[in-house]
Amino acid sequence: MTAALSRKCLLPLLLLSVLVMTGCNGRQKTSKDFDKAVAPTPAAVQTPAQAPTQPAAASAEAVAAKPAPAPVAAVTQTAPATPPVDDYAETPYKPTPDPLYYWNKTWFKFNDLFYSGLMRPFAKGYALVVPKQVRTGLTNAYQNFIFPIRFVNALLQLDFKKASKEFGRFMINSTLGIGGLMDVAKADPNLAPGNEDFGQTLGRWGVGDGFYIVWPLLGPSTARDTIGMAGDAAANPLTWIFGPWSIYGDDNPWYWSYIIKGADVFNNLPNTLEAYDAVVKPAVDPYTAVKDAYIQYRRNAVSQ
Amino acid sequence: MQRFVSRLVLTLVLLAATVAGAQAGPATDTLSQSVDKIIALLADPAYKAPDTRPAMRTKLIAAIGEVFDMKELSRRALGAEWNKFNPEQQERFVKAFGTLLENTYLDKIESYTDEKVQYLTEQDLGGGKAEVSTKVVGKGKEIPIAYRLSDRGGWKVYDVVIEGVSLVQNYRSQFGQLLMHETPDAVIAKIAQKRS
Repeated sequence: MTAALSRKCLLPLLLLSVLVMTGCNGRQKTSKDFDKAVAPTPAAVQTPAQAPTQPAAASAEAVAAKPAPAPVAAVTQTAPATPPVDDYAETPYKPTPDPLYYWNKTWFKFNDLFYSGLMRPFAKGYALVVPKQVRTGLTNAYQNFIFPIRFVNALLQLDFKKASKEFGRFMINSTLGIGGLMDVAKADPNLAPGNEDFGQTLGRWGVGDGFYIVWPLLGPSTARDTIGMAGDAAANPLTWIFGPWSIYGDDNPWYWSYIIKGADVFNNLPNTLEAYDAVVKPAVDPYTAVKDAYIQYRRNAVSQ
Repeated sequence: MQRFVSRLVLTLVLLAATVAGAQAGPATDTLSQSVDKIIALLADPAYKAPDTRPAMRTKLIAAIGEVFDMKELSRRALGAEWNKFNPEQQERFVKAFGTLLENTYLDKIESYTDEKVQYLTEQDLGGGKAEVSTKVVGKGKEIPIAYRLSDRGGWKVYDVVIEGVSLVQNYRSQFGQLLMHETPDAVIAKIAQKRS
């Protein structure tokens, strides 16, 4: 039900995201929290020029087709937002735009109650009953299965080294690693696991974070990474097998794709909660701590 | 003459030794020495024994305090807001923030089992600052941790970057957000409250 709904909502959602991303500069000026941020964020400045006006998959091709002008704009405009590692002490506090603060805060609380409260005992029980090797094996198998996402995005970033690495990992782990259950390729330092996704590809071509947004159940994201999620869904084999465009016809019920994704989230929940606790427990302001950690983590991922 | 030659040789040997040390990086050297010291304390059976544990814990905190520049870390965590604190508030802030970090990270450090620290690279950040990239390997996990150190009569850590997330910047976001609506005293109280 929700799945069909979200599929129908995908296009309007995308358009909405693009609209809000482009309108973000004006929004920023009216919002009281951001008038102190002197320099407009790169996202606000450069998205109008390059905002994808087509659905994610199509715009991906567009980005790949004309990569040359994009990075130039990116380099010149991203510079002020990411100061060269240091001199933080003198820079005034510049938060990532958060125009949906009340929505975000509500869903942050909801997600916290849901995962950290309600689901935690189940995750603990699961981690207790199911050995770590099995959990890691399942994660490996799923990650191996969704290899096209990483492969396609490495190609879209014109990072052929990463693409060949992903391809090599897929071939080795699918065969020697018994369908990806074992990550045998990892033993080779040149074949360390990667994590490329569409949000990073957009970032690579100069799209800034945009504003911060917290999705119910999916957690923290940004305008850019939300579009990225749609792109990843398009590159996910589950979509091809179980989606509306499924290559094998109507025999495969659509909800399997969500069951598998949900199972993967649950399987990883013990680790996710550990990472979440590492951010939230020492925090004075948990909402901001999670927001900042997400932004920093993603910026680091984009830069690699 | 012979004395002169022996002195020359000695000087050369010393010079060679320092040069060899410099290749690994002075910040890495200081850091790895401290890490070794901390690991040695944790691996000491006296740390497990309940009667010697408090004394060992004091030693551990002292060893950590030697390599961390709490004042610099606090100053950077406040960023530009630091100047809005008067000296007395700054002092209280450093103390409260230090205790908060101590309380949250001591448990983590004490849960140390057999993880190995690999020192990867040392990058010069300019202005007497350096970033040492390390990898903590253990229990089937690899965690990239980078330490940023500054040299002020000895290298000291002023920031820790775990998986690309800078501790100092994360706190700067939080304090920046809080200080938009709250006074320095209220923020200090909030930090102090957090530790209990």
